[in-house]
Amino acid sequence: MWSISNIANWVNEWLGKNFSAAWVTVFEMVIAGILVISLFAVLGLILVIMERKVSAWMQIRLGPNRVGPKGLLQSAADTVKLLVKEAMTPNGADKFLFNLAPYLAIVVSMLLMAPIAFAKDFMLWDLNIGVLYVSAISSVSVISILMAGWASNNKYSLMGAMRSGAQIVSYELSAGLAILSIVVLTGSLNMNDIIRSQADGWWIFKGHFPVWISFIIFLIAITAETNRAPFDLAEAESELTAGFHTEYSGMKFALFFLAEYVNVFIVCAIGATLFLGGWMPFHIGHWEGFNHIMDFIPSSLWFFGKTFFLIFLIMWFRWTFPRLRIDQLLNLEWKYLLPIGMINLLLVTAMAILKWHF
Amino acid sequence: MNGSTIIFYMLAALILGSGFLSVTTRQIFRAAIFLLFSLIGVAGMYFWMDYEFIAAVQIVVYVGGITVLIIFSIFLTQQAGEKLPEQSMSRMLFAALAAFCGFALILLQIAKHTFTNSTTTITAPTVENIGNEMLGVNKGGMALPFEVVSVLLLAALVGCIVIALRQKTQQTN
Amino acid sequence: MFIVNYIKEVFGALKSLAVGLRRTMFYFTHHKEIITEQYPDNRATLKMSDRFKGEVVMPHDEKNEHRCTGCTACEVACPNGTIKIITKFEVNAEGKKKKAIDKFVYHLELCTMCNLCITACPSDAIKMAQTFEHSVFDRSHLTKVLNKPDSKIMEGVE
Repeated sequence: MWSISNIANWVNEWLGKNFSAAWVTVFEMVIAGILVISLFAVLGLILVIMERKVSAWMQIRLGPNRVGPKGLLQSAADTVKLLVKEAMTPNGADKFLFNLAPYLAIVVSMLLMAPIAFAKDFMLWDLNIGVLYVSAISSVSVISILMAGWASNNKYSLMGAMRSGAQIVSYELSAGLAILSIVVLTGSLNMNDIIRSQADGWWIFKGHFPVWISFIIFLIAITAETNRAPFDLAEAESELTAGFHTEYSGMKFALFFLAEYVNVFIVCAIGATLFLGGWMPFHIGHWEGFNHIMDFIPSSLWFFGKTFFLIFLIMWFRWTFPRLRIDQLLNLEWKYLLPIGMINLLLVTAMAILKWHF
Repeated sequence: MNGSTIIFYMLAALILGSGFLSVTTRQIFRAAIFLLFSLIGVAGMYFWMDYEFIAAVQIVVYVGGITVLIIFSIFLTQQAGEKLPEQSMSRMLFAALAAFCGFALILLQIAKHTFTNSTTTITAPTVENIGNEMLGVNKGGMALPFEVVSVLLLAALVGCIVIALRQKTQQTN
Repeated sequence: MFIVNYIKEVFGALKSLAVGLRRTMFYFTHHKEIITEQYPDNRATLKMSDRFKGEVVMPHDEKNEHRCTGCTACEVACPNGTIKIITKFEVNAEGKKKKAIDKFVYHLELCTMCNLCITACPSDAIKMAQTFEHSVFDRSHLTKVLNKPDSKIMEGVE
């Protein structure tokens, strides 16, 4: 059957026939790099236009509707605008760190792409510790924000950086606990093992209410970790102009913007992998005919469908809820999410030991 | 020289170079950032050795935890963008001497020591093996030290909460 | 009790969030609710709402007659000097002098569309129009004379 993994294997064989092993590795790395960068570009374009349309419809507006059919080319036009804009560096800024920060942000998002299974047997790096790797690398992203905030030499930037630092560091904990509950059920950190354990049903169905609680905690925590409303204190435009990227313009700003959207995609992909079965099709018990039809849909479509469903959820949150204050934000994490997450982890562990899940 | 060796030398250059810059720079925030790169380089070294778990833990603990803590304390204490004063010559000299002595001592020890091949069976550094070893109660199991460390951490946590609570009651009075 | 309150609070929060989510989802799925006007495109079919106030005008009938007596009540009522009435004395058929308006000068650029002049007018001579495309290249175009040339006061309006 036609699938992405077949194409990948075919490319690998073709390269193997024509070049020596070392060159094959080099070529494949280059191809993977180009693919990741183009995925970045495409995701940036799609997610920005999706966000603007979703926000418009939720606020009874029309959204962008001038450039291209129904305004679908608006984000392409914006990209061109950002590309030709002057990328300024303010006079009092720490120039080295100021220019380094956006690249660090984008590199972190690129690294996070590695262990995601985009389709059946198709991922960049089948890592033994996939989930831990993701939560480890994503903790580096806070550094780029702190760096940008400090190097801008601007009070708004610094305040935004401080807030986002406190926010990301604390919400990482509950995101980690939510992820751990699935790891406990699966007994593996490997993304492929986690997906394979959901062949007979996704964890959100198999895991009863403890998994639902972890799913909700996970959603809240990733919304906070990606600095999106209602947790967008780091860039709270009504208080801090633009928070940590106040001083950035042109392509450097675009890199931050892109990194934010790609991070949203990545955390949603992780959520889809952990709770919604990654590329696993939707199966119901013993309905052989139904299951067969579901198998016919390509695995990559399943993966992207689930991921975009979660992205839509996060956008839905953003355009519904008002922004939290910093004390409310920390209260929510330390007084509600973390204790509930810990008790929930205990419940999940008991469930895994007693085999209460299907 | 194959690809793996090239990567090793690149990582080593990253670790040593950013470590050196971290001590020589006069801006404290830059020093923290260079320290961060040095620690990332160490994590890269673990990845290079295929010790993925250790590498991820290195990133979680040192990069995501300790460096962020250092940066936070810089934010809360240091004046923005101000350079540290130049050190006096004698101080630099003594510091260099102390560093050299330490380095020489370690080098001497390494040169004296004869490295023999390990005879214990090597367990693959997978998460499963690490977990089983960590909580194993058999011979060589680490359950007791693990629990002792966790009790220590719990005591630290409780201590933090007590300190935080006391301040709050004083304020209300 | 603390734990009961805690659980109540959590569930109450979730419920209120769900209410908000339901509202936005309703709007997301009901595109007919969209109230945005596609202004330059729908210029021909544009419907202004009744209470929209664009500009003060003085209606004239087909005999080129208006209802303004020149009492300057509007000029007095105007909070920022938008209206200036220049009066003249007309000799009527009986040889009596009578006050009438020469020019009803209206400064659109000063007007805040507060409607006070319309309520002040005792003879309903002026009203608010719904025009809104007021941009011009020269500010002097915004100073308007509302009574048409050679217009007269309507019969029977005192």
